[in-house]
Amino acid sequence: MSVQEYKLIFTGTMGAGKTTAITAISEIAPVSTDVQRSEAGDDTKVTTTAALDYGEVTLPRGDMLRLYGTPGQARFDFMWKILSDGALGVVLLVDNRRPDPLADLREYLTAFRDVVAGSRAVVGVGRCDTHPVPELDAYYDVAAEMGLSAPIVSVDVRRREDVLLLLDILFNQIEAAEA
Amino acid sequence: MSKHPECQAHLDALRCEHREVAGTLLSTMDGFEVAASVGAQISPKKMAAMTSSLLALAEAVSRESSVGQCRDLVIESSAGIVLMMDVPSTAHRSVLTVLCTDVGVLGRIRWAARNAREAIAQALDAQPVS
Repeated sequence: MSVQEYKLIFTGTMGAGKTTAITAISEIAPVSTDVQRSEAGDDTKVTTTAALDYGEVTLPRGDMLRLYGTPGQARFDFMWKILSDGALGVVLLVDNRRPDPLADLREYLTAFRDVVAGSRAVVGVGRCDTHPVPELDAYYDVAAEMGLSAPIVSVDVRRREDVLLLLDILFNQIEAAEA
Repeated sequence: MSKHPECQAHLDALRCEHREVAGTLLSTMDGFEVAASVGAQISPKKMAAMTSSLLALAEAVSRESSVGQCRDLVIESSAGIVLMMDVPSTAHRSVLTVLCTDVGVLGRIRWAARNAREAIAQALDAQPVS
């Protein structure tokens, strides 16, 4: 069988760790489009992704994953649409430190509804160790209210094995849906 | 109300002095509008975000190709040109976007836009964005 290439999307709010996740697993030096933030934020993040992040991972069978990270802020939502075109699946990252992470989840589930409804999404919730509330059950409830379901796990995207676990779960989802 | 009246004046002047210039916009590198002189059919907020993405991507391509720092980006379309220029203000690095409806005058408009860019950079260094 010939080697396949797949496109995956990492999305979620600013600071959720999209760039970090791609950097953690990419085999090439990731392409980054970080720019200096001009707005006064309530955190210490000084740069933000304006267009995309890009990285590559080879799977054991030789297939290649092309990883695209979206910008986090809604003003860049046109990039979400451009980048989602032709994507096999989506990794949605949520930051539990944020003021209303469940609202963040709602926003991104809405934006990526088709992909999620097609069982091609996984949700990773970050910083649950320092910010245990809301719990993962609350995330499942939000998805259920929207008539959607997706695996939701607690992750630390700085850890390569955590990011690979997210991809494993995503691929299991996709295979189960296609079976 | 513009966030920077002096920059607003430079944008208005560029648009008024050249009939081919259909709109001008000054925005931050991370996609926020600072000042704009555009028609009602264009959303400065959306354009600000889009120019930020384009410039950031053009910069990544410049890096990848080892051709130095990206300064200008030109989109040549069937009925006009969009010119995006890096504004080298040390205090507020930003982007000047010029919409031009005549493909044949790119050289002249680019020259005018470069002068405007220098003036805007000085204005931004002298007076911060409020």
